[in-house]
Amino acid sequence: MATINGRDIHKLVVACDAGMGSSVMLASTLRRQLGKTGVTVEHTPVNSIPADADVVVCHSGLAARARTVAPDKPIVPFQVFLGDPAVTRVVKAIQQGTDLHV
Amino acid sequence: MSELLDPRAVRLAETAAGRDDAIRRCGAVLVEIGAVHPGYVDTMLDRERSISTYVGEGVAIPHGTLAGKDLVERDALAVLRFPGGVDWGGEPVTVCVAIAARGDGHVELLAALAEILLDEDRARELREATEPGAVIRLLGPIQEETKR
Repeated sequence: MATINGRDIHKLVVACDAGMGSSVMLASTLRRQLGKTGVTVEHTPVNSIPADADVVVCHSGLAARARTVAPDKPIVPFQVFLGDPAVTRVVKAIQQGTDLHV
Repeated sequence: MSELLDPRAVRLAETAAGRDDAIRRCGAVLVEIGAVHPGYVDTMLDRERSISTYVGEGVAIPHGTLAGKDLVERDALAVLRFPGGVDWGGEPVTVCVAIAARGDGHVELLAALAEILLDEDRARELREATEPGAVIRLLGPIQEETKR
């Protein structure tokens, strides 16, 4: 269990396998939702999570791989590509500058 | 005209025995329009078995794995509608938006799709579309803007 404050999130990474489908869609939705906050949203394959990512969002099926690649990063697993409560909590923490427990 | 969504790749009266069959149909269309090597289709099945590409509102977006990227000839999409529905691991799927992508050329179109899926009325319009033109119109505006 780790805690990160929404104000400390500058780069959010959506990690995925191929980076051509669902993660692209989620990243585009997040980019729109976080547009005003100045947070950078990237989508990358799970094997190449960038070192400057502050938080990593990925499908629960990839969470174990993401933890191996980025053991020091807060990982937020989700189940549904659009409208998952876990992702909504990240957006809220960023928008309101509140704590996020992962 | 560069066609990310070729009208020939919009098939609105498909049938499939199940999820894998539907994915093979999607893959066959991508092969037919010259977007992917036939081997890509197996990577689409691999991907689906590891993580479902169901995205909600009766829509799935089947695509290959990272390994399958090398089998993509050009970025393209195919839209297949299964009016009878397909059981997608417990979720009923009516529309498949199949993806072949090496780069990020299709990102805007997927962004448009995400917006459609977050809007119940437009999502229904997509599920009930019977004319390829209607599908291209729904997904098209952003694509047109990028082309200018």
